[in-house]
Amino acid sequence: MASHIRKVLAVAFALGVGFAASVTAQETGTATTTAAPMSSDLIPVSQAMLDGAAADAKNWIHPNGSYDNARFHAGNQINTANVAKLKPAFVFQTAVLESMETAPIVVNGVMFLTTSFNHVYAINAATGEEYWHYKQKLGPIVTVCCGNNNRGVAVSEGKLFMGTIDAKLVALDAKTGKLLWEAQIADPNLGYSETMAPAYVDGKVIIGTNGGEYGIRGFVKAYDANDGKLLWTFYTIPDKGQEGVWAVNDATGRDMHRDIAKEKADLGKDSSFWQRLGGGVWMTPAIDKKTRTVFFVVGNPSPDLYGAVRPGDNLYTDSIVAIDLDKGTYKWHFQYVSHDVWDLDAVSPPILTQAKDKSGKMVDVVIHGGKTGHIYVHERETGKLIRFSEAMIPQENMWVLPTKDGARMLPGANGGVEWSPMAINPKLHLAYAANLHQPMTYHVEEVPYPGGKLWLGGAFKTIPSEEQWGRLVAVNMDTGKVAWGAKTPQPLIGGVLATAGNLVFNGEANGWFKAFDAATGKELWKYNCGAGVNAPAVSYMVGGKQYIAVAAGGNNQIDAKRGNSVFVFALP
Amino acid sequence: MRPPRSGVAAFFGSRMLRLAIAALAALAWPAHAQLDAKQMASAREKAQVCFACHGPDGNSQNPDYPILAGQSWRYIYIELRDFKEGRRSDPHLSPMVANLSNEEMIELGNFFAAQKPLPIKFQADSAKVEAGRKTSDAVLCPMCHLGGFVGQNEIPRVAGQYPQYIKKQLLDFKAKRRTNDAGNMTSVASTLSEQDIENLSQYIANL
Repeated sequence: MASHIRKVLAVAFALGVGFAASVTAQETGTATTTAAPMSSDLIPVSQAMLDGAAADAKNWIHPNGSYDNARFHAGNQINTANVAKLKPAFVFQTAVLESMETAPIVVNGVMFLTTSFNHVYAINAATGEEYWHYKQKLGPIVTVCCGNNNRGVAVSEGKLFMGTIDAKLVALDAKTGKLLWEAQIADPNLGYSETMAPAYVDGKVIIGTNGGEYGIRGFVKAYDANDGKLLWTFYTIPDKGQEGVWAVNDATGRDMHRDIAKEKADLGKDSSFWQRLGGGVWMTPAIDKKTRTVFFVVGNPSPDLYGAVRPGDNLYTDSIVAIDLDKGTYKWHFQYVSHDVWDLDAVSPPILTQAKDKSGKMVDVVIHGGKTGHIYVHERETGKLIRFSEAMIPQENMWVLPTKDGARMLPGANGGVEWSPMAINPKLHLAYAANLHQPMTYHVEEVPYPGGKLWLGGAFKTIPSEEQWGRLVAVNMDTGKVAWGAKTPQPLIGGVLATAGNLVFNGEANGWFKAFDAATGKELWKYNCGAGVNAPAVSYMVGGKQYIAVAAGGNNQIDAKRGNSVFVFALP
Repeated sequence: MRPPRSGVAAFFGSRMLRLAIAALAALAWPAHAQLDAKQMASAREKAQVCFACHGPDGNSQNPDYPILAGQSWRYIYIELRDFKEGRRSDPHLSPMVANLSNEEMIELGNFFAAQKPLPIKFQADSAKVEAGRKTSDAVLCPMCHLGGFVGQNEIPRVAGQYPQYIKKQLLDFKAKRRTNDAGNMTSVASTLSEQDIENLSQYIANL
């Protein structure tokens, strides 16, 4: 993500306004409502529950619904026939008025949600009554690209796990919200921070890192869930071999206009840059328990736009990577864009599902929605690319190299598909992706490593005269064809939920939260939340009733109107 | 007809700035803690050595040395770190910061941020001040330094700084003698003429 970076909107006054809003946000967030005693319904989440989450309509216990990251909820009480009647059941207001990207976790009627600046709330998932409110005591140095966001917690056996913007992993008691342990993951002075929801599996907490805009060396780490002891580290920038195969074309066969002879000569002069080569991992990995494999995508190389200081393919940036769950060792990788100088990297979390291979046989696959605007379908065992989808948004002038004065290319540097998690409907074989269309020019500047300061090596500029928009797209995973697309007036960031009621839920920066027919894309319902809906929705059941929950807190990256609430909907 | 946007404006009218601002906003939040009386006394003791050049409580009496009183803690911290790690250098300062710990640099930043800056003795040239104001608007200085050049977080306060110090920094950025700015100020300064720099330093010093 560098993605994540994905930043944007560049008018002077907007910038000023954005900053003021951030300052205000920093001054809020201390008050809380009087807490009620924790519900006796709260139960410890067992490994068996986590393993069976995909079929469990009652709970939502993974940030993306299951270890597959499929974001497909098994409940069908709310469906295409009745969704038009969906109404708010309650609105929970947090004390923090700032960007919300949280995917709430729900355990037997208790919801755990997070806000910017690492607050966590436990509330009644049917009434909104607050049980407890935890505020992380942040250290003096916090270095974040793209907002002080948090995307949620992992849960297991009475504990919650959260990454913090000052680069810690913390464990909380789910019943009381008390801190159990914390581990410093990396040094925030150097640009490391955490915004992703970690994954919990078999006693381990697995987490990546932000920092691809600061010259970090990315990683995925596993910690012991009992005490926070580090178990293994997989560096997304290997000690050796990051020059790769000197790829001329991207994953779709287009020439990236590299000067490979010059890169090879430069590598001979200095190869020490790999320690600052970036490669953040921004989103929760997918986990295949059968093969004990962890799948994640790796973000952009550092610096984003200035490639001259990092010759080679810059492995494993802009790649999907599979590693061993127990040892953290390499299994395979597939790189989408080698030697990226556009920040068109890989951020949206991979999904494990099945799709047809080239011979028409249904096989286990892992898919990823890229900032390039393609969905890539890979053989899960080897990483081999089976197909890539039609482009979901306009592509023009790929891959023109950035210049000092700016070169126009589509997509802009936010994508395509940003960090927003996709969803799938396994029966329809469709994958749903939230896309952005933001025309930009790419500018390069020669900039030496600035020591933990933002290091883009240039600039991404939106083009004020060109319209920006978003598009929710359904792609047939067996063919790569676009089944339907719904254009939105603003770029989409937040993520998608699909349900067994043949519905797809998606939010927009203008406050609309909408439901679509999963097969046709017909809009069936909408509700305006009054602030940007830039977070992925979740679904669960309490007392036999299905709910849909989504945060409406706006977004820093696209400067969507800020809010502080989680909206929860049900049928009357 | 609008004048063409300068390279500076183009560079800054970008998502980079948003990013930077978002990042900086975050940076400032937790560490803005006020020092209590005991911490202040301890910090003042550590800062004594700085007073020799930067003046009592960071109110420099020598126009070659910048005023530190009222500067943002985060900027002081980052600059000290850059001196220590060699991204910025000065024959006097570099050796003095070599043995500072991160905590000491933060403490010094918080100390000077808490001091009141005193006005400098300076006779401004009103024509240059007005020309400097126009240049400042044209190259979008206030987007980072804010209106009145009061600074924020990692972006320094420059208002009321000595004009010859401001001028030296801008010339150093232009000539890339100073390069610890992650490309922002070197890009800005590259399109400024020496006259622009003279005007800007008068305008900003006069704020």
